[in-house]
Amino acid sequence: MINKFQRNCYIVKTDFSILSYKMKQKLTTYTEPERTLLENAREGNHKAFAEIVRRYENLVYSFAFKVCRNKDKASETLQDTFVNVYRKLDQFDHRSKFTTWLYSIVTNNCLMKNRRTKLAEASVSFTEVQLPHDDFEEHSHHNKSIHEWKSTPLDRVMNSELKDLLDGSIQKLPMDHRVVFVLRDIEGRSAEETAKILKLTVPAVKSRLRRARVFLREQLNEYMTS
Amino acid sequence: MKKKTISCKKVYTHICDNLDKDLNSPVCREIKRHLDSCPNCVTYLDSLKKTIILFRDYPNPKAPKSVRRRIFAKVHFK
Repeated sequence: MINKFQRNCYIVKTDFSILSYKMKQKLTTYTEPERTLLENAREGNHKAFAEIVRRYENLVYSFAFKVCRNKDKASETLQDTFVNVYRKLDQFDHRSKFTTWLYSIVTNNCLMKNRRTKLAEASVSFTEVQLPHDDFEEHSHHNKSIHEWKSTPLDRVMNSELKDLLDGSIQKLPMDHRVVFVLRDIEGRSAEETAKILKLTVPAVKSRLRRARVFLREQLNEYMTS
Repeated sequence: MKKKTISCKKVYTHICDNLDKDLNSPVCREIKRHLDSCPNCVTYLDSLKKTIILFRDYPNPKAPKSVRRRIFAKVHFK
């Protein structure tokens, strides 16, 4: 017979397995372009390049939107990314997946745009933020009760208040942590692929992801416990 | 009362790094034992999971078709 906490533990584990399954389903909807399509585009075949844009425009736009939370900036990033793809296609050597290469270009564009528009100023530096994870001493939270969160919307319809909160929270996250969170937790990319896209080590990706999750959780805590 | 074998910090770090992996290793069994006696960790991990779900469920807009035309114009398509 299992007790309440064992049950909760299994629920947590099972839910994450479902998340993982959903992520895999989502990823399989993107078909890899055949090598010939890329080679034709590289040789100047406009139809082949147009097909690459058609296949991947939603992936690029959606990623850019998740990172910058602004439709105009996401559109600019989409345009810049495919112009870069067109110009750099001869540098793609098929040693990585095409999507990995594409993510690295769109991520660079997001980071450059962020620097240019000085959005970074709106971000909070992690040195100024008290991260609970950093205070996680041995059983440090045992004397302090953590409040349970209410359920996430079952009908998957978010109200505008929650959307604004999510937008505001992720925009406070420093860009170098934000892109890791989006790639790993929203896009479902592996730690290894994320490291390759961002030219980081896997431990650095894991560290940034932990801090990003804790930071975002803290941002939502009041709303989700009130 | 069951003995806690590992710290809350280790539980958090390990689970956070392996959210999408099978939790059947010896460390995971240790974590399960910890969670049996630590309701705060269970609640905390549940809130982290919900944080991810909320961001993942945020509706994504589709790419505007007008951008396609701008891309082709930029690379001098006719």
